[in-house]
Amino acid sequence: MSLLRQQGPATAAPPSTVRTKGLRSPVTGAGTGRRNGRQSAHTRHQAMGLLLITPFGLLFAAFLVAPLAYAFWLSLRTSTLVGGDHFSWFANYQQTFTDPHFLAGVRRVAVFGLVQIPVMLGLALLGALIIDEVSSRLAKVFRMTLFMPYAVPAVIGALMWGFLYSPTFGPVNSLSHALGTGKVDLLGHSLMLTSLGNIVTWQWTGYNMIVLYAALQGLPREVYEAAKLDGAGQIQTALRIKIPMISSAMVLTLMFTIIGTLQFFTEPRVLEPTASSVITPDYTPNLYAYNLAFQYSEFNYSAAISFSLGAVVFIGSYLFLFAARKRSGLK
Amino acid sequence: MSSTRRPKSRSLRRTAVAATSAALAGVLLAACGSGGGSGSGTTGSGPVHIKVWAWYPQFKQVVAEFNKTHKDVQVDWVQAGVGQDEYTKLKTALKAGQGAPDVVMLEFQELPTIQLTKGLLDMGKYGANADKGNYVDWAWKQSSDGDHVYAIPVDGGPMAMMYRADLFKKYDLKVPTTWAEYKEEAAKLHKADPNAYMTDFGSDETAAGWRQGLTWQAGSRPYTYSASKLPDIGVKLNDDNAKKVYEYWGDLVKNKLVDTQSYATTDFYNGLSTGKYATYIAAGWGPGYLSSVAKKTAGKWRVAPLPQWTAGGNAQGDWGGSSFAVTSQTQHPKEATEVARELFGTSEAAWKIGIDQAYLFPLVKPILNGAYFGDKKYDFFGGQQINKVFVPAANGIGTFDWSPFQDFAYNTDTGEVGKALQGQTAWSSVNDNVQDQVSSYASKQGFKVSK
Repeated sequence: MSLLRQQGPATAAPPSTVRTKGLRSPVTGAGTGRRNGRQSAHTRHQAMGLLLITPFGLLFAAFLVAPLAYAFWLSLRTSTLVGGDHFSWFANYQQTFTDPHFLAGVRRVAVFGLVQIPVMLGLALLGALIIDEVSSRLAKVFRMTLFMPYAVPAVIGALMWGFLYSPTFGPVNSLSHALGTGKVDLLGHSLMLTSLGNIVTWQWTGYNMIVLYAALQGLPREVYEAAKLDGAGQIQTALRIKIPMISSAMVLTLMFTIIGTLQFFTEPRVLEPTASSVITPDYTPNLYAYNLAFQYSEFNYSAAISFSLGAVVFIGSYLFLFAARKRSGLK
Repeated sequence: MSSTRRPKSRSLRRTAVAATSAALAGVLLAACGSGGGSGSGTTGSGPVHIKVWAWYPQFKQVVAEFNKTHKDVQVDWVQAGVGQDEYTKLKTALKAGQGAPDVVMLEFQELPTIQLTKGLLDMGKYGANADKGNYVDWAWKQSSDGDHVYAIPVDGGPMAMMYRADLFKKYDLKVPTTWAEYKEEAAKLHKADPNAYMTDFGSDETAAGWRQGLTWQAGSRPYTYSASKLPDIGVKLNDDNAKKVYEYWGDLVKNKLVDTQSYATTDFYNGLSTGKYATYIAAGWGPGYLSSVAKKTAGKWRVAPLPQWTAGGNAQGDWGGSSFAVTSQTQHPKEATEVARELFGTSEAAWKIGIDQAYLFPLVKPILNGAYFGDKKYDFFGGQQINKVFVPAANGIGTFDWSPFQDFAYNTDTGEVGKALQGQTAWSSVNDNVQDQVSSYASKQGFKVSK
């Protein structure tokens, strides 16, 4: 924003009014403005501000910046079991994007996301619209029930589903047996992605629903009255008024979900021991990075994969937000 | 439960979670607190404390026995997780340069990997070579390289066939002595009862060691490796013997004569305890595992030698086995070596705890060939002296080299077996595919690979 200010024509307008928002303008206004007695107050402010963010800054540096820097440094080196350790510039990154295991994982996750994300967010939106419309005690119960799986730790959830999917004990199989459709191998190659998708949907639908529901609650009620007067039914109100108005919340949930999906880890990791011939160590990029580091001791390559995945996530979410900038509220 | 750590012993992971989580927290705290890893005894008087990671719960008594009989050295035991869980921690601690214990329990197939990353102390310098004659030859060779001793063998897994005597009688099956007979009986059983299978073909990573043990029996020697001859390594995972084994089991799978459940599942335990599986081909630690997961079938099982490829043959294979190694981070190499050598060693008192309570299968000759172990009767096996089968098997095992990238090899094998199970590849090409991937991995790691 400071760039914008400097490039702007030398008009009479004070700098702080040019595309600056909220809190910043008074502060910068004061700072760049008259140099008088208020200067010291400003410095005191600044010192106080610095003091207040120091604890955060230290923790941030120690637990995010430093490990990231270390991981990046690791990713620029190559150490093999017998070749020793040497600096190799971006060789690991080059390998990452030609590594069939990594690419297969990215593809698998992409296919998974293309199906699972719309289903889950569709359900979440439907749920939010329903409980927004129906304001009875039933709606509260419904809301709690849908949200509950989110409160179950992912590991427990995946373990539980691992049991439900079991070919011998699982109710799913008993049911299909009773219906005479034979054995359904929910943990086999062909159905594994579906089974995982089901776990993720079960876990996260309620969470997304609550976010959307909160956005719906924030809408002004008069709009509905106006719509009613114009002759809109409940469905029309939902489609033409409510959904467009909460689109920024929808963009938000979508983005979190995309990031979560690219980092898909817990569920396949938990089901891995039960179905290790299906969930191979390279099943998802994140799982691959984990196994490279802790099973094969390839810390360098693992770091490169993690960074590459991070880059994919970052670029992906940036592009997505850019494409959805009108709806996202980030103009 | 307990008795059973297993090759890649994920099987127990979930059941052991509750029991070990407290211990794990302890490990983390200890690792943070003591820094160097060996705790108090660095200076001053009093005994040296040696920190040991091992996973049998019964270990407590073994440690108590050791501490009672030693004055200058005391063992601080930590239950650091079973199998792969422990290795992950160890590899991380070694990479970090601190936090590893002095002595660690490792399965044989992990030794070359950790040795190569300079994680192990050469105990040969501290007198461990004196133990050489005490251990069966193949076991000692797995844990040493000439005069370099990287670990002291503890227990092994000579393979045998456990079978349900009652089911064999009911369906009039003959106890097979060759793999050809095994297949005939499998067909007969499955025809008589379509819900019963001769056994389960472990298709998962837990069973990778099982598959390796069976190819070992068939004469396959996939690796030629010695830490003193780096960077040379021989990789031959697709010789005729290995292919013979995979095609044999592939054929049983295709004809639905065996089940294909993962070993690490409750479905598998259930199969063992409900008579779904008539045999369980496993190792010397298998009796302990079986009697803990299939308690209600007590008395119905018997043990017979592993079926042979040629009638009258005596080829044996090994599945799993562990050792005590001293890590390179130890501050007390001499005392740590002493602990590794003597925690069990030839101590009859310690071994009685190991044998009776943890179903350990000793590899130390005085105990292995001694009367106590050989004559012991097992109620779970109808009073059979099962070691009359296992001890000759242990003595008949040929030597075998592990690769220093065994985790990768096992994972690759598991993935390819999975594809064959789904009909994506032919069983006859599994070994070739594994060979390609493993040898190219080895080249990338800097080895000079000969095929």
